[in-house]
Amino acid sequence: MIHLRHATRRQVRSRARTAPGRGPRRPSRVAALAAVALALLAAGCGQRMPHHTEAELQGRGDIQGSIRFSWWGSASRNDKTNEVADIFEQDHPGVRVKREAADFSTYFNRLNVQAAGRNMPCVTQLQARQLNDFTDRNALLPLDPMIESGAIDVSDIPEDVLDTGRGPDGKLYMLPTGIAYDALTVNASLVEEAGAQLPPENYDWEDYGHFLESLRDGLPEGVSPANYQGGLPNFFIAYLSGLGEDLFRDGRLGFSRELLTDYWEMWVHLRDEGVTNSPDEVSEEPPSPEAGYVAQGDVVSDSGPGNALTPVQSALEGAHPGQRVTTLPLPSGPAGTGNILVSSGMAIPRNCGNVPTAAAFIDFWANDERSGDTYASDNGAVSNTRLLERQLNDPDLPETKKHELTLYEELVARHPENVLYPPGYTAVFESAFTRAFEDISFGHASVPEAVDSFFAEANAGLAN
Amino acid sequence: MKENDPGGARGGVGTLPGPGAPAQAAAGGARRRGGRAARDNRAAYAFLTPWLAGVLVFTIGPMLFSLYLAFTRYDLVSAPHWIGFDNFRHMFETDPRYLKSVRVTLTYVVVSVPLLLAFSLGLAMVLNRGLRFLTGYRALFYLPSLIGGSVAVAALWRQVFGEEGIVNKALGAIGIDHGSWVGNPGSALYTIVILQVWAFGSSMIIFLAGLRQIPRELYDAAAVDGAGAVRRFRSVTLPMLSPLVFFNLLLGVVNAFQAFTGAYVVSNGTGGPSDSTLFYTLYLYEQGFAQLNMGYAAAMAWVLVLGLAIFTGLLFLSSRYWVHYGDER
Repeated sequence: MIHLRHATRRQVRSRARTAPGRGPRRPSRVAALAAVALALLAAGCGQRMPHHTEAELQGRGDIQGSIRFSWWGSASRNDKTNEVADIFEQDHPGVRVKREAADFSTYFNRLNVQAAGRNMPCVTQLQARQLNDFTDRNALLPLDPMIESGAIDVSDIPEDVLDTGRGPDGKLYMLPTGIAYDALTVNASLVEEAGAQLPPENYDWEDYGHFLESLRDGLPEGVSPANYQGGLPNFFIAYLSGLGEDLFRDGRLGFSRELLTDYWEMWVHLRDEGVTNSPDEVSEEPPSPEAGYVAQGDVVSDSGPGNALTPVQSALEGAHPGQRVTTLPLPSGPAGTGNILVSSGMAIPRNCGNVPTAAAFIDFWANDERSGDTYASDNGAVSNTRLLERQLNDPDLPETKKHELTLYEELVARHPENVLYPPGYTAVFESAFTRAFEDISFGHASVPEAVDSFFAEANAGLAN
Repeated sequence: MKENDPGGARGGVGTLPGPGAPAQAAAGGARRRGGRAARDNRAAYAFLTPWLAGVLVFTIGPMLFSLYLAFTRYDLVSAPHWIGFDNFRHMFETDPRYLKSVRVTLTYVVVSVPLLLAFSLGLAMVLNRGLRFLTGYRALFYLPSLIGGSVAVAALWRQVFGEEGIVNKALGAIGIDHGSWVGNPGSALYTIVILQVWAFGSSMIIFLAGLRQIPRELYDAAAVDGAGAVRRFRSVTLPMLSPLVFFNLLLGVVNAFQAFTGAYVVSNGTGGPSDSTLFYTLYLYEQGFAQLNMGYAAAMAWVLVLGLAIFTGLLFLSSRYWVHYGDER
């Protein structure tokens, strides 16, 4: 039996070797399969870039077919956004707006993958801070020809605001639709309870320090005058702006090491003075303003998005009924205001195959009164001054929203500096800045060491 | 055996032509068999094609492409630019965060895997004592394994070990005051280790099955020889379970090297505080999808593959000294 089995195996192996069409053909079949698979892979990896006619580049043509539209935001913002898109569809029978919403924290990572597959939505919401991640890769169409042709009307958008959507080459790649600003968010009730006064108008960083010290002894136990936010890039940008210094110059850091050293030493001093909470607490603070420590009544003041006043007030009301929160401009400096504007807006990627409809949608979003009324400056003050006035004149406008929009008007009147964010700003600059300050906070590095490592990492990253 | 035996083409043991069959008939039979075999092959390829195409398109193709990308600078949109070994040089010579991520990951592997094995083996031994409601306990203890890797549980973990979390509340009740566990670089990594150990169910079930296979008479013989509980564990239980320890160790190490979700959620995707939870895969993800250095991320992925292969190889090499399959002579 054993013998037979061995003999049989040999014969079978021999047959397998000599069977016509077996051995020699196998590689060619495998090669053919591999070729098919790789072709499929190549086809699946990315779409072809469409060829746009001159008219399409000007946003002219039939407004029809479907476009994809992506944005970030919470559930309530999604509802408003959907409502605006619905109105546009009603105005243009035959047009379909396919919607893609995501949370802010994951939105740009998804967009990067879509950009890799040349599959970005025809109308893509962007923010000035990330805009040049995409202009640098030549992923967006300039909107200037569409403005010149009249497909997109920008006559009611202030020039300073419009400039926040320009790339390094001066072309407009994103139409700013909502303008955010950071503000000092302060729990006014706790300030009153501590027997202190809000900082005076045009206050500077020294005044802010005095304000925090005046709060220190009069607050309930466990409540800190400020969040320990030396690692918050927006606060530092306000500091720089007040000094008239550049954040970036020629794609590299535009300020000196000494300046950053002074800034971080100021924060370490505030911590030593006992007017901030602990680094542990800051590092575990939830990212959304509504869940932040000011909104929960655990901290009196912090830098936060000015347009989050309404949800922050609502969250504070839930946590500590009766407490009131307000917003102030960020501290100024010898060179003037510390505030800058951060715009969000809409862009059309090069891979869009329906540019006229995308341009029409952006024009509708930026100029139509129904759009302005429905969206109600949910993601920063509406950039169109006509729509802004309309909202401000609405007698039903909630008080906190009115405060948000009035403060925006006040800041725009100060002609804040326009920061041109280089590619990689968020991933490189913000991430390295926060981390370097964490190293100081947790005693892993001295201030000069952290400054050196931040400069090395940020400049190397930005150069890439 | 008839030359036109329909079973002849099946290629079975009894179907080969006998030594006395006429040569022509044998040749004809071989041709028919060849034709049938070719048809069978075609059918096999047809059935295999969807799987094969999937493997080629979704596994081997991307792997080969990522190997190519590892030697390029690639920002996801522009064409990849060949830079030779620069990514690998940058990794080991000029990127301090890379080395940090290696250190964090190795610490995680070295701490979490033995803890996981010890905990799951200990619990399996307790459950192997013939408890009542054993099935219920088993199901209960297995539950964390089903949900332990989920984003929801990782988010919950952040709450449990936060400044105001349940752990601090419990410690506060006995007079221990502690700050945030996830917000402190000294303890953040260990909260993720606990998350990993908490999902002990799979390895516990495997150990429990192994324990039930150990012959009772071995313990009886050891007891007769005067062996105490510790000696019985060292000389009977461990050697008999060693193949399963090896299996769980291997799985644990491979999983731990690739851990991502816990660190991503607990640190809000930053690897913080102060890079204390910067796992290798988290840094790889950050490089690829946030910093858009996909070439560098691909190089990191291949170094991880190589590292894992070496680690696994060493484990296999070491296994001949401590894993007993019961067939040693």
